[in-house]
Amino acid sequence: MTTAHTQSHQGPLDRNYFLLRRLHSLTGVVPIGVFLLFHLTTNASVVWGMLDSREGEALRERGVRTFQNEVDFIHSTPFLFLVEIFGLWLPIAFHSILGLYYAKTGKGNTASYGWAANRRYSLQRLSGYVGVLFLFYHVATLRWHWTFLMPGGVAWDGERAASTLALVLRGASEAALEAGASYTLGGVIVSLFYMLGVSLLVYHFANGLWTAAITWGLTISQKAQQRWGVVCAGLGVALMALAWSSLLGFMTLDPKDAAAIERSHSGHKGPAMQLGDSQH
Amino acid sequence: MTTTDHAARAAARRSAKPGRKVLIRVKRCEGPGKPSRFETFAVTIERGANIISCLQQIAANPVTVEGTRTTPVVWDSGCLEEVCGACTMIINGKVRQSCSCLIDEYAPAEGDVITLEPMSKFPVVRDLWVDRSRMFHNLKRLRAWVPIDGTYSLGAGPRESPDAQEARYKLSTCMTCGCCLDACPQFLLAESPASWDTSFVGAQAFGQALLFNSHSTGAQLKNDRLEVLMGPGGVVDCGNAQNCVKVCPKEIPLTEAIASLGRAVTIRGFTRFFTS
Ligand code: HEM
Ligand code: SF4
Ligand code: SF4
Ligand code: FES
Repeated sequence: MTTAHTQSHQGPLDRNYFLLRRLHSLTGVVPIGVFLLFHLTTNASVVWGMLDSREGEALRERGVRTFQNEVDFIHSTPFLFLVEIFGLWLPIAFHSILGLYYAKTGKGNTASYGWAANRRYSLQRLSGYVGVLFLFYHVATLRWHWTFLMPGGVAWDGERAASTLALVLRGASEAALEAGASYTLGGVIVSLFYMLGVSLLVYHFANGLWTAAITWGLTISQKAQQRWGVVCAGLGVALMALAWSSLLGFMTLDPKDAAAIERSHSGHKGPAMQLGDSQH
Repeated sequence: MTTTDHAARAAARRSAKPGRKVLIRVKRCEGPGKPSRFETFAVTIERGANIISCLQQIAANPVTVEGTRTTPVVWDSGCLEEVCGACTMIINGKVRQSCSCLIDEYAPAEGDVITLEPMSKFPVVRDLWVDRSRMFHNLKRLRAWVPIDGTYSLGAGPRESPDAQEARYKLSTCMTCGCCLDACPQFLLAESPASWDTSFVGAQAFGQALLFNSHSTGAQLKNDRLEVLMGPGGVVDCGNAQNCVKVCPKEIPLTEAIASLGRAVTIRGFTRFFTS
């Protein structure tokens, strides 16, 4: 029929249009969304870790230790680099590039039609735009160590996970802290950017999970869409709580106290841990 | 429409006094590609007046509030009872039929202003009259009909259950007015028919695709329709803003239709991958 005829002058992108669309939707949920869930849970261990406190420990100590254990555990994953590339960076790049392209095919009209679902549609695109910027900054500075993008030139160090994160959010190097600084202006900006970026991405995931169910045809009736909406909103609130508790946890953590805990933590793990210390 | 909307409109109707003057602000355009401008007309309102009756008054005496004589405003209409869709325009920023739009609800007080603009996603022919042929093109693109033409009698069709008829009835009330497209953030103005084969189809044709896919004889073309819906401009391009269902005057369950088609193309995608 005519479909065969129309396909003859279609490029490979058009011929695989459906596949690409569905892969975009799928990558948003698995692996990216599932990763987000684990990532935020891990980060929040600096707070929920405190629930496991031993007798005689300072209030924040078990949080710092739990977070360090989580980070060490992740870093012990075999072929971590390959897992990162194929499980994270490529899917995120794929989802982001297609997402930017898809977002450009629409033109928001919330000024005329301010209904909730329409505002969520526009926010889904806005959170995508800000999300790419934030993710890029986040990965470039913390994972690729582009310290020139960091106020105070702070470098995150996986051997001293909590204390260096606290430094990152304060935008102050250890030297600056010694000189009496607490938060630098750069640190305030970085912290605010984290709050904004993380909140928008959590929204993006929760709302994306709601639309994905329509996209794939899982929720059909209005009632089913509402029911699933409640589930997605609940998940969104839970993820928001994790995200904010970890951010506030790191922002209120004293880097010096945390560093002291980490030194005693790495002490029992052998000489390899000295490497991180010798950098400073 | 929400109950508060209903209540507010009923209250406006009760408070409106016949004989008051209302200002009708019209976006004018002399033809395709010509610049547009606003002109305002003062109209005396009778009980039960609607936008079309105001436009008729303006046509009889096309003088603006500034006293300038101008050309009569051009608009399109047909049934005057909200079943043909021809009179659709943007009234105070929202798309709807103008024949069923009561002045008492929109401008209950002396001197109230109502703004009329042509639909924003279809090429303007003149003033408030737009060319909506893209919707008919999209019905053809999706083969939104029951294939019964042939050289010999096909005999009686399959029996249809009352439940299925009921479900399809709602979809069949679509009057191709285009409200759902005008309010859709994914459906954009495309002047040139050259792009109509790949541009977003929109909720109107999705509803019709589902209507004929769920008809036992219409379903003979089901896979052809699904193929189009899986390609560029198909149901996969819907962004779930759900404005379509909110503005549809026939209250067609468009978002449920979109989700049903989403399920159908998901299944079709797997079938295509694993069996054909
Ligand atoms: C943490 C990172 C991210 C997660 C967890 C995520 C997740 C999701 C999910 C689950 C969906 C729903 C898919 C559907 O409706 O079928 C989605 C949609 C979308 N995402 Fe993302 N995403 C992320 C990052 C991004 C980025 C960086 C962009 C870049 C602009 C982006 C752009 C989009 C767009 C435009 C849509 C809507 C697609 C549509 O409705 O057709 N996303 N995302
Ligand atoms: S749900 Fe889809 S078709 Fe309806 S208004 Fe939104 S984007 Fe358009
Ligand atoms: S689906 Fe509703 S809004 Fe869309 S064209 Fe048909 S009647 Fe009009
Ligand atoms: S004239 Fe037919 S719907 Fe208004």
